[in-house]
Amino acid sequence: MAMKPEDVLRAIAAARGEAICIPTMTTAPAWREIAPDDVSVTCVGFMGGASAMGLGLALARPDRRVVVFDGDGSLLMQLGSLATIAGAQPRNLTHLVFKNGVYHTSGSQEIPGGLQVDFVAMAKGAGYRQAYAVRELDDFRKRLPAMLTDPGPLLVELHTGLADKTPMTARGGLPFDRQVETLRTKLVKPR
Amino acid sequence: MAYDMLDLLTGGNRMPESIPAPLIIDTLKDTFREARQALAAEAQEPSRHQHLGWVLSVPDTHQKSVLAALDKEQALRVVTCATEDEATTAAAGLWMGGEPCVLMIQHAGLYASINTLRGVALDGRVPVFYMIGLLSREKDKAPRESRHSMVRYCEPLLDTFGVPHARLEGPNDVHLIPEYYRLAQKRRGPAAVLVGLETL
Repeated sequence: MAMKPEDVLRAIAAARGEAICIPTMTTAPAWREIAPDDVSVTCVGFMGGASAMGLGLALARPDRRVVVFDGDGSLLMQLGSLATIAGAQPRNLTHLVFKNGVYHTSGSQEIPGGLQVDFVAMAKGAGYRQAYAVRELDDFRKRLPAMLTDPGPLLVELHTGLADKTPMTARGGLPFDRQVETLRTKLVKPR
Repeated sequence: MAYDMLDLLTGGNRMPESIPAPLIIDTLKDTFREARQALAAEAQEPSRHQHLGWVLSVPDTHQKSVLAALDKEQALRVVTCATEDEATTAAAGLWMGGEPCVLMIQHAGLYASINTLRGVALDGRVPVFYMIGLLSREKDKAPRESRHSMVRYCEPLLDTFGVPHARLEGPNDVHLIPEYYRLAQKRRGPAAVLVGLETL
């Protein structure tokens, strides 16, 4: 049975330490509730941008782990980011792809290729240091510490069901500019 | 002095000139040096990097001599991106982490990434600084009068989105690079300089 995205997020919240997290689309509402005070920024309104934002943060702050919560439909929108990330080789970047085979936010239309799309093969082909798939929550929990410490760039394809909420059914949260400002303040620490 | 003003004063007889790559690179280094000093004064967290700043590039024919020279440059780190969307969003990540950067792209890439400019740089109030090459711009025409749509629409598009911009029409205009970099920081939003002719 596919993992529940909320269960995956709860496990990450418990283990993430000082990692900077970047949710996008359907992981955003749940992450807001699970980790309300997190060092994170949510990518909604520029679908596909989470991976590159993670890259920028990872390059800026090599002392911090950066964890991107990407979606399969989102990653397809900027698939070239796999090569860009692999080219830059950020050792501190973990790229989690929540794979459900549909554009959940816009009404669950199937993504091109549906569940057949193999992001593990794509990431390996692009040049990620590691890429693998996880299908069971127990296995995810077991491998999570390594996901947060192994040298990146590292992609994990997570076989999940649909989240309970989407950005369309659960609007809210800080406006994007305030999220950006808040994260910068936490990272740069103005005097 | 901006091209349009000089154009006015000289009755339109000023012809644009190509800018040597080393001059652009030295100006970028000075710009980033100043940015790092400003950040050091503002922030408690020190930079984790020895180099001065980042160049996010989707290779641009117009600025290829600059990109070639950057290959040998240690003080500026180049990240080649597959798309301008990625470059814009990565720039936001770098800025949140306290790092100075510039995007080197061409006008066609600006058109391709306009939703990201809107969603990230404008809505997120991120000071993304662009150097945009006007590939195919005719030497004897203002870009708005170009017969090439990719040249002609660039400045109007930036105007539509309220992005301040200026043209580098020769070596005397490189002062616009730090000025527009600072302007982006001050306004907390995107700003651009347009590279009028292919760099040397």
